[in-house]
Amino acid sequence: MTGVSLRDVVKNYGDVPAVRNLDLELPSGQFTVLVGPSGCGKTTTLRMVAGLESVTSGKVLIGERDVTELEPKHRDVSMVFQNYALYPHLTVRENIAFPILARGGDRASAMARVDEVAASLGVGALLERKPRALSGGQQQRVAIGRAIVRQPQVFLFDEPLSNLDAKLRVEMRTEILRLQRSLGTTAVYVTHDQEEAMTLSDVMVVMQDGVIAQMGTPASIYERPQSAFVAAFVGSPKMNLIEGDVVDGVFRAPSGLLVGTPGVRPGGVTLGIRPEDVLLGSRADGWEQARVEIVELLGPRAIVSLEAGGVGLTAVVEASELASVTEGSLVPFSVRARALHLFDAGTGQRLA
Amino acid sequence: MSFRNRMLAPLLVLFAAAVGYPLIYSFYLSLTNYSIIHPKTTHLVGADQYVRAIHDPDYWSALRVTFIFVICSVLLELCVGMALALALQRQRWARNFTRSFLLSPMFVTPIAVGLMFRFLLNQQLGVIPTLLAKVGVTYDFFGVDRALFSLVVIDVWQWTPFMVLLLLAGLESLPRQPFEAARVDGASPFYTFRRITVPMMSSVLTVAVLIRSLDAMKVFEYVYAITRGGPGTQTQTAQYFIYQTGITFFKLGLASAMAYILLAMVMVVIVILFRSVERAKNA
Amino acid sequence: MTTAVASPSDERDALLDQGVTGRSTWGIVGRLLLVAAFFVVLMPFVWVILGSFKTGAQLNDPALLVFTPTLDNWREVLDSGILQAAGRSAFVGVTTVTMSVLVGSMGAYAISRYKAGGGATRFGILAAQVLPPAVLVFPFLAISFTLHVNDTLIAVIAAHLSFVLPVVTWFLIGFFDAVPRELEEQALVDGLGRFAAFRKVVLPLVAPGIGASAIFGFVLSWNDLFYALILAPGSAATLPVRIAGFNTFRGVELGAMCAAIVVSIVPVLIASFFIQRRLVRGISGGAVKY
Repeated sequence: MTGVSLRDVVKNYGDVPAVRNLDLELPSGQFTVLVGPSGCGKTTTLRMVAGLESVTSGKVLIGERDVTELEPKHRDVSMVFQNYALYPHLTVRENIAFPILARGGDRASAMARVDEVAASLGVGALLERKPRALSGGQQQRVAIGRAIVRQPQVFLFDEPLSNLDAKLRVEMRTEILRLQRSLGTTAVYVTHDQEEAMTLSDVMVVMQDGVIAQMGTPASIYERPQSAFVAAFVGSPKMNLIEGDVVDGVFRAPSGLLVGTPGVRPGGVTLGIRPEDVLLGSRADGWEQARVEIVELLGPRAIVSLEAGGVGLTAVVEASELASVTEGSLVPFSVRARALHLFDAGTGQRLA
Repeated sequence: MSFRNRMLAPLLVLFAAAVGYPLIYSFYLSLTNYSIIHPKTTHLVGADQYVRAIHDPDYWSALRVTFIFVICSVLLELCVGMALALALQRQRWARNFTRSFLLSPMFVTPIAVGLMFRFLLNQQLGVIPTLLAKVGVTYDFFGVDRALFSLVVIDVWQWTPFMVLLLLAGLESLPRQPFEAARVDGASPFYTFRRITVPMMSSVLTVAVLIRSLDAMKVFEYVYAITRGGPGTQTQTAQYFIYQTGITFFKLGLASAMAYILLAMVMVVIVILFRSVERAKNA
Repeated sequence: MTTAVASPSDERDALLDQGVTGRSTWGIVGRLLLVAAFFVVLMPFVWVILGSFKTGAQLNDPALLVFTPTLDNWREVLDSGILQAAGRSAFVGVTTVTMSVLVGSMGAYAISRYKAGGGATRFGILAAQVLPPAVLVFPFLAISFTLHVNDTLIAVIAAHLSFVLPVVTWFLIGFFDAVPRELEEQALVDGLGRFAAFRKVVLPLVAPGIGASAIFGFVLSWNDLFYALILAPGSAATLPVRIAGFNTFRGVELGAMCAAIVVSIVPVLIASFFIQRRLVRGISGGAVKY
């Protein structure tokens, strides 16, 4: 099995840089997700690995092979596009067989392989149909079937689930993961949905403006975001970020909110608190009061929008704890002690 | 050579051979006194031919005749065409048959159309003047001060379908929702047409008018078939006049110069057309 | 009790009834207009067809409707070599269109996908379609004399290329634009080279557009008089030139003129049925987007 490496890769469209000096080592056999807001360069990077975009400077390696100058057909990768890109004039069978036949493979063995793949994805009954006769989910499976039929060295996915409805998306996510685990092929997946990134990735690469903001396991990124950007991007509902200053170990927001931050250097600071770390207490605790503005019930949990010390905060609360929490009421709140994330107000980088 | 250039090359070569080279050669001709009968005595005469053309009153008359022809034809075709396109759009039954039949005139050989109308409108042997005479109307379709307009009518007969084609395509690509909103807002049909249909169709209208105008400037067949420029020079259009200069009088150099002056005028329209098409595509 | 919810097609029908201008009184006006247009288009055709079966004497009575038909005119026309002229027109048309489609499809692909040549190319193609023939015909004439191909079909084909090639290419650019780029990219990743991807994936999808452009280009070539008259007036005459030759106003030959006109019209009427549908879809969906 083979990993993917990008060494000092730069991509410019005319004068506009899309990817800047990217150094990326994607481990073999792992599921790597490139995630970030639109325009961050994740799709460009993926397409450079596929060979659909040229590299302005730098190298792309698949395994030990330098593929930078190679046409896509020589790179031994497969790709699933957002719109599935099924060939409308060919049947499902011919679509799935295409990568083998296009490379001059023998028809009989190709068809046998197609039957295998179709069975494993549950589309065996659809083989003689044309793509327009299939539902979105079925088209998705056929596209995946086409991607795995040849057992390439790398799977590439360009936001393949964005066109599916929410429920189907969650189902297909699990299927894709199961597939990759059983085949053990290196996979690179691009999405703008941080939830998808968190659930699918072994390694997550958060990109911003053509550079890597942070790379690591989903857990590490979630628990220790290295910048305010990453902190805000990963996690839903979004992390609470409050601007303010630290003086003598105490964080003070302009609105008056005070939070104890012992040992932190004085100066401008952005304070980050994840909604699940905002605790709502009962009357008995002698905590500060916050006004409840909106309660959104999600079933087992609820998102509560608070106004505290002049600052808006979001909290995530178990449904069972909602007894005293009603819109318009005052409720005591506190912050879990070790759950503060502090970022330099200027650079956005994490402070310790 | 890159893939892109390899794909483009044959087109460029053929284009240069069929269009580019003749274009340049034409310019060269306009600077000479080329004669088909004595090709060996050709020599450059500089801008002589252009001067001669500009000072030729018949040339200007031909341009004027063409101009009037184009304006009258295109305006009529626009109005009639729009009405027909609207009517065709809402038609429910026998759609394909009606459309293909009503669009057919634009595909007939123009010379055949010219002869056909000569047959129909001829004073002595044409059926229309005969029918008109039965109701007491005498109208010489190709008489003095009438001939040009008759040619306009022929052009309208043949080319309104083309206008209808373009307008219909434009109408059918308009989104439904603004019109549904107008219905809910209580707008009258006229108001809807004026304030919604026309503005949304503006790019289509511009392109249709420009394309048709450029086509109408080339009018030749009807003149050749019926009036041969007459009565007098009242239907002597630009292309016919240039044809006569070059072929009947063998003055290829002068004819080329005249053609080039015409081309310069046409270029202005072409540039406007191009800009409109580009704008329409990006809108 | 209310009926079931109206289906979307019912609502669309109701809207169509009112068209984009509104109420249904206009429907009557529209229908009248269409009937009038139908007759205006039909009448010349009918009259010429009738005329082709009339003798010289019958033709002296223009409004004659009931008569004993004669086939003399048709015999005369068919003997005159008009079918050969039609064959020459067809040959020129097919050759011109074939060359245009082959070369034009590759070029149009490059322009659509790679923006080859930029705005200048597109401008050039548009301009070439609408150039007045008067500008190009004299060079073609002079060159055809020099190369000793005057009064041959080669000269005519070359001249026809000058306007058919741009038209076909222009339409094809629009049709290629309408094919999503992802399909070729998928084909590249799936193992095809770029030309193979063009041939096996993109071309099949553009095929209807190619068909429509080809028919359109053929009709343009078939109907040309100006170039053919000047470049091949004699033994290599194409159909329009031949028909122009029937131009007469002696009653004796008027019938033959009518028959000649009909020969020219009939194939075109058939072709127009096929083109109409494709062109409307092509223009609104592909060739020029609004």
